[in-house]
Amino acid sequence: MTIRLSDVRILYLNELRSALRERSIVMNSIFLPIFLYPVLLWLVYTGMSFVAGQTEGFASRVALLAFSNEQRVFKIDLERDPRLEVKTSNDPLADIRNGDLDLMVEILPPAGEAARLTGNFRVRLTYDNSKDRSRMARDRIAERLRLYRDRYLEQEAGKLGLTPAQLQQFWVETNNIATERQMGQFILGLMIPIFLIIMVAVGSMHPAIDCTAGEREKSTWETLMTVATSRVNIVAAKYLYVSTMAAVAGILNLAAMMFSMKSVLAPLLGERISTFSFGIPLRSIPLIIAVTVLLAFFISAGMMILASFARTYKEGQATVMPFYFAIMMPVMFLQVPGLEFTPALAAIPVVNICMVFREAVAGVYHWPMIAITLAVETGCIFFSLWLAATILKYEDFILGSYGGSFGKFFKERLLPGRGKRGGRA
Amino acid sequence: MSEPVEVRGLAKTFYDENRGEIQAVKAVDFECREGEIFGLLGANGAGKTTTLRMLATILAPTAGSATILGHDVTAEPAAVRRKLGFFSASTALYPRLTARETIEFFARINQYPSDQVLKRVGYLVERFGLASYADARIEKLSTGMKQKVSIARTVAHDPPLLIFDEPTVGLDVLNALEMQEVIKEFRNQGKTIVFSTHIMSEAEKLCDRIAIIHGGRILACDTLEKLRQATGARYLEDIFVHYVKSL
Repeated sequence: MTIRLSDVRILYLNELRSALRERSIVMNSIFLPIFLYPVLLWLVYTGMSFVAGQTEGFASRVALLAFSNEQRVFKIDLERDPRLEVKTSNDPLADIRNGDLDLMVEILPPAGEAARLTGNFRVRLTYDNSKDRSRMARDRIAERLRLYRDRYLEQEAGKLGLTPAQLQQFWVETNNIATERQMGQFILGLMIPIFLIIMVAVGSMHPAIDCTAGEREKSTWETLMTVATSRVNIVAAKYLYVSTMAAVAGILNLAAMMFSMKSVLAPLLGERISTFSFGIPLRSIPLIIAVTVLLAFFISAGMMILASFARTYKEGQATVMPFYFAIMMPVMFLQVPGLEFTPALAAIPVVNICMVFREAVAGVYHWPMIAITLAVETGCIFFSLWLAATILKYEDFILGSYGGSFGKFFKERLLPGRGKRGGRA
Repeated sequence: MSEPVEVRGLAKTFYDENRGEIQAVKAVDFECREGEIFGLLGANGAGKTTTLRMLATILAPTAGSATILGHDVTAEPAAVRRKLGFFSASTALYPRLTARETIEFFARINQYPSDQVLKRVGYLVERFGLASYADARIEKLSTGMKQKVSIARTVAHDPPLLIFDEPTVGLDVLNALEMQEVIKEFRNQGKTIVFSTHIMSEAEKLCDRIAIIHGGRILACDTLEKLRQATGARYLEDIFVHYVKSL
C-alpha cells in the first residue's frame, strides 16, 4: 500500500483547519506553551522567594543553659544578634519538640585533654532536624560560634605576637571562569528540557485524542472510512497533524522560555540575574529544532496508538495518561548532578533528547552521542508506525472494539496463539 | 454485461468474547441494476448494515465476493470508494467545519476533478438550499440542515452508486419525506441506489426491487408486484411476515 501525498495533504489540512477551531487544542498547543509555563514559573519562584523571605524574617528562639562568667562575651553576642530571641524555658527539650523553642545552647565542661586547659568548654546544640525553624537556628548559632572562635584565636595569637596572616597557613580564592552567557545557558539547559517534554506531550495529547477517540465519539470515524483513499493515507495525515501540533507547542514554549527566563528567574536570583544572558548559540538552533521535531514524532506516535483504542474523548484521556507519566519519568534523571552524556544514556528515548538539548543549549556537540540519539529516536518512531499499521489491519479495531484498551488488543491479537476475532480490514 | 452491484455468497462472521462466533451475514446473493433503487428490508439486527458496510469496504467479508461497478470490494477498496457515496446514521459530519468546507473536502478526497470542485460545491450548496448557511459551522446547524449537508457530502464527488443505510432513522416526518424525494431524484439522474430500511412504507414507496433480509439471509428478492404474486399478500408488511414466518 503506497502513500498518496496529495491525499495526505488534503486530509492533513482538513485536520489542521478543524483543530485550529477547537478551543482546547488551541489553548493546549499554542497559548499554554507561550504563556502558561513562563507565568506559572514566575509565580512559583515569586512564591518561593516570598516564603524564603518570610522564613529569613523569623527570629530563632533559643534557650541558653549553664553559661558561666567565662562565656559572658559569647552570651552577649547571642543576645545582641537580632536574628536570635533568647528565651527561658523550664523544659527546653519538651519546648523544642512542641515547636515553642527552636534550639537549646548548653555549655558543658571540657572533656579529655581539653579539660586540663583553663577557659575551655564544650557547647551542645539541641534542636529538631525535622523542623525548618530549628535547622535555621542551628545554622545561625553555628555561625556565631565560628565567629566567636575566630575572634578568640586571633586574640590569643596576638598575645603570642602572631598576626592574623601568620595564624593562617593559606587562603582560598575561588575563580569562576563561566561567563554570564554560560551561566544563562547552564540554567536554560537544566530547565528547558523538562518543560520541552511537558509541552510536547501536552501539545500532542489533545490533538491525538481528538483525531482518534474524538472522531469515534462524534461518529465521523465511519464517514472517514468511506472516503476514496487508503487508510494508510488517513493515518499518515493524522500522524503528521498531531506531530505538527506537538512540535509547534515545543518550539513555541522554547522561544517563550528563552525570552522570558530573565523575568521568570528574577524573583529567585535577585540582582544576580541582571548579569546572566539567556541566549542559545545560533548554530545549535537547527539541532534543537531537529530533536524537538523527533521528540514530537515519537510522543505523538505513542499518544495516537493508545488514544485510538478509546471510544470517547474522556476514555482517550484516561488511556494516554500512563504514557504521559511514563515519558515524564526519565526527566527525573536529568536532575542528577554531573550527568555525563554516555552511549547508555543516548540509547534511552526521551532522556537522550534531553541530553542533546542540554548540551546544544550550552554549545557542546558530542556527535557520536547525537548520532546514537537520532538513530534510537528514529527507530522508535518506525517501530510505532509499524505497530500503528499492524493495528490498523484489524477491522474490529476500526469498529471500536477492545473496550478502549490497548492491553486487551495486545493480549487478544498480538500475543502468539491468539487472533480468533474477525477478519482484517 | 455485469450489473453495478453483484454480490455472491457474501458472509460476515464476528467474534464476541462472551457469545463466540456470530454469523451476521450468511452467504447472501443479489445484484442491483443500473438506475434502480434496490431496497434491503429487514428488522434490526437482520444484517442490513453489515452487508452495506461490506459493500462500502468498511468491513472485509469473511467469505464470498462483491463487485461495485466492476471493482472487487476486497481487492480494490479505494477504487470502490471512488465510485460510491455512503450515507448512514453513523456517518456524521465534522462539527467544526462549515458546510461549504465539508462538501469541498469530500469532493477533493474522493478524487473529483480538482478544477471542477468549486463549481460542484456551488451547485450542491444551491441544490440543497444551503446558501444562507454554507459558511456556518456544522455544529451551529439544525438537524434538518445537517442532514442536507450530509447528503451533499455523500454525492460531493458525483458517484454513480449511492448506499443509504437507514437514512430516515431519527428524522421527523418532513425531513424523512424530503430524504425520500432526494433519493428519488438521484434515481432520476441515473444513479444506482442501494437502500436499507426497516420501515415497510418507505420500501414500498421507494424501491424498484426489494430484498427481504432476516437472520443474515436473503429470504426473497424481487419487485413488489412479484412478491405480492408470490405470497398472495397485498401489503409489504404481510409479505415480510410471510417470509420471516416461513423460516
